[in-house]
Amino acid sequence: MGYKHFEPADYLQSMRLSIIWGEKLGVKDEDHWSCPTLMTIKAALEITDYCYRYPDAEKTSLSDVSLSMGAGECICLSGPSGSGKSTLLLAVKDLLKGGEASGTIRLAGSVGNQGVGIVFQNAETQLLCTTVKDEVAFGPENQRRTAKDIEMAVRESLNLVGLSGFETRNVEQLSAGEKQRLAIASVLSMSPGFLLLDEPTAQLDVPGKERLVQILRGLKDKGHTLLIADHDLKPFSALADRFLIIESGRISRACDKLPLPFPTPAPYQPPQENHTADPSGDALIHLKDLYLSGTNGHPVFGGINVEFYRGTLVHVLGQNGAGKSTLLRCIAGQIRPDGGRIHVSGIRKLKPDALLGKMSFLFQNPERQLFEETVTAEVAFSLKRLGLPSQLIHTRVMEALSLCEADHLRNRSPLTLSFGEQHRVALASVIAPSPDILLLDEPFAGLDFPQRHRILRILARLREERTTMVLMASHENLPDENWADRTLLLEGGKLEAV
Amino acid sequence: MKTGPTGPCYWRVENLKQFEFKGKLGSIGNAFQYRANTSPIHRLGAGWKLLLCGLLAALAIAAREPWALATLVGANLVFYFSARLRLSDFWRDIRIFLFQMVIITGLYVIKYGAEEGLWPGIRTGSQIFLMFLPGTVFLRTTKGSQIMRSLKRIMSERLSFILFTSFRFIPFFAREFHEIAMAQRLRGANIAPRRLWNPVHWKDLFNCLMIPLMVRALKTAKEAALSAEARGFGERN
Repeated sequence: MGYKHFEPADYLQSMRLSIIWGEKLGVKDEDHWSCPTLMTIKAALEITDYCYRYPDAEKTSLSDVSLSMGAGECICLSGPSGSGKSTLLLAVKDLLKGGEASGTIRLAGSVGNQGVGIVFQNAETQLLCTTVKDEVAFGPENQRRTAKDIEMAVRESLNLVGLSGFETRNVEQLSAGEKQRLAIASVLSMSPGFLLLDEPTAQLDVPGKERLVQILRGLKDKGHTLLIADHDLKPFSALADRFLIIESGRISRACDKLPLPFPTPAPYQPPQENHTADPSGDALIHLKDLYLSGTNGHPVFGGINVEFYRGTLVHVLGQNGAGKSTLLRCIAGQIRPDGGRIHVSGIRKLKPDALLGKMSFLFQNPERQLFEETVTAEVAFSLKRLGLPSQLIHTRVMEALSLCEADHLRNRSPLTLSFGEQHRVALASVIAPSPDILLLDEPFAGLDFPQRHRILRILARLREERTTMVLMASHENLPDENWADRTLLLEGGKLEAV
Repeated sequence: MKTGPTGPCYWRVENLKQFEFKGKLGSIGNAFQYRANTSPIHRLGAGWKLLLCGLLAALAIAAREPWALATLVGANLVFYFSARLRLSDFWRDIRIFLFQMVIITGLYVIKYGAEEGLWPGIRTGSQIFLMFLPGTVFLRTTKGSQIMRSLKRIMSERLSFILFTSFRFIPFFAREFHEIAMAQRLRGANIAPRRLWNPVHWKDLFNCLMIPLMVRALKTAKEAALSAEARGFGERN
C-alpha cells in the first residue's frame, strides 16, 4: 500500500495541489491569495489516485480518490451509506487490513501517523476502560509518556470537551452525548494534530450536536485539522471550510457552501380520506395517567394521558434520555408503570403472547434481531409462531417483502446484507403478521437520507394499505415534515403536541 | 437546559439507564463495575487485594462444614460492605450466583433425592458463590488501570488487556441480551424464563438469542480492537 509520511520538502507540491483545489472551487488567482483559508494552509494530507478493495470484495470501495487538505482546515465528507466515507477515514489512519490498495496517501511530517486521531461512529464500542480517567489515559499510556504528562493530557482533554470533574465516573453512567465527548477526549489526549470523525452526530440530539460543533470549533481554532464524515452536514455548515460528496467510492462534488447532498423527494401527501385521530372509534392505544419513576424516585413520566387511533402516523420527538424508548416499552408491556393504565387493542394485561400479531416493535439497530438462514425464513418466523397455514405464510411473506422493497433479497442470508437492506428485512419481518400497531424506536440510526425517506414511504404505504397505526420515536425531526399526522414532544415527563 | 452532572438532563439519563435494567431477565447491567469511593478497601493496593481475594476464594474451596461456610459468608459480607458498596450493588452482583445455586441444588436433589442431595447441593453452590464473591469486591473497588497493572505481573499485557476489557463490556452485553430477548419475544420466540424450563424451547434460546448475540459480540470485538489499535495499543507490544 502506498502509505508514507509526507516530508517537508513535499510542501511545495501540496501547495500547488491546494491551488488546484482553489481553481476547482472557482477561486481566481488573485482571489486565491486573498482567501484566508487557502492563504494560510500547509498541506497536512495529500491523497493521490487512491483505490482500495476489501478482501473478497467484488468492487472497489474507493476509486481514484484525490484530495489535498491544509493544516488547520476542516472538511466535511458526505454521501450515501456504503459510498466509502468510513473506508477513506480508515485509509488515512492506516487501519485497513488486507485487501488491495493503490495510489498514495501522504501525511505531513509534522502530522505523521501518530498525529492522526480517529473517533469512530459508535462511541459505545470504542470506549475500552471502566472509568473516564482510565479511558482518556489509555492512548498516552500506549505512547509511553510519563505519569505527569499523562495526568496533564487527561486534564486538558477532559477540559476541552467539557467533562472536567467526570474523572472517576464509570463510563456506563454517561449519556450518549457524554460518551461521544469522552471518545473525542480519549483521542485528543494523544495530542493529534489531525482528527478524523466518523458520523459523530449519529446518536446525538440537537443540543448534543450543538455542543459537539462547539467543541470542534474550539479544536479548529487551536489549529487542529478536521476531516468529518457524516450524513447530516447541516450542523457543520458554519464550521467546515469545504464539503465533499463521495458516491460509489469517488469524490463526485466539492463545494465551499453547504451542498444538497441528495435529491429530496416530494413531501408526503396524505390520502384524501383522512386517517387522523377519529375520537368516534375505539382508541388502539390508550394511556391514562401514566406515572413512572426511576430508582432514585425522580419521575420519568409525570401523568401522561393520550389516545392513538387506527391508521394514524405518530411521531414522538424527544432529546436523548427523555424517556422515548421507555414509553414504547411500557406500551409493549415490557416495563410496568408505577401508576396509570395502558390499554392496547382492548388488551389490559400486556404480555408478548397476547400482543403477538396485534403489535410489532422494531428496535434500534434492527439487524440485531436477524438470525435465520434466509430472508424468507426470517420474515416467516412470526407467522409460523402464529400457527398460520403454509400457503398463507407464503403469501404474507411475499406481501411484506414487496411492501418493504426487499422481494429481490428473499433467497439471501440476512447476515450478508448491507445495513440498509437488513433494516428493510427486519421491518418486513415485524409487519408480516399485519399488526394493528407498529412501534419503531429510533429507526433512522445509521441510515442515510434517501434510506430514511424510503422507510417513511414504506410506513405510509403500510398505513394506506392496512390502516396500521405507526408510532415512531426519535431524537431528531423527520426528514419529511409532512409525514406524521401527529407530532408529540416528550419532555420533562410530559407528552405534548408540537 | 443544563447537561452537567447536576442538571436535570443528567439525573434523567442515569435514571433511565438504571430503569432499563429492570426486567424479568435479570439485572446484571451494572454488576461487577467499578464504583468510586474512598473506603479502606479502595485504598488498598491492587496486589494486596488480589492476594486477599485469592485467600478468601481458597478458603471457600476448603470449607465443607456448615459452621465454616457460615463464618466465610460473614467474612465475605464484612469484606464487601467495608468497601462501602450499596445493598443494590450486592444484589446485582450476587443474583447470578444465587441462580446457579438454585440450579446446582436442584440437580443434586434430582440425582440423589431431597434427603441426600439437599445439603451437598447447597454446599457446592455456596462454595462456588463464595469463590467468586471476593472477585466482585476486587472489580468494584479497583480501577481499570490498577487491574491492568496487577494482571500484567502474572500474565502478558495483551492477555491482561483482553481480560480487563471484557469486564468493561459486561453491562453493554447485558443490555444487548435484554434488548434482543425483548425483540424476539415480541416476534413469538419462546424464551420467557418460565418457558425455558421446557427443553423443547432451548432451540429458540440458541437461534433467536444466542446467534444475534454472538454476531453482535463479534462486531463489537472488531470495533473495540480497532479502537485499541487506533490508540496505539498494538504498537508497544
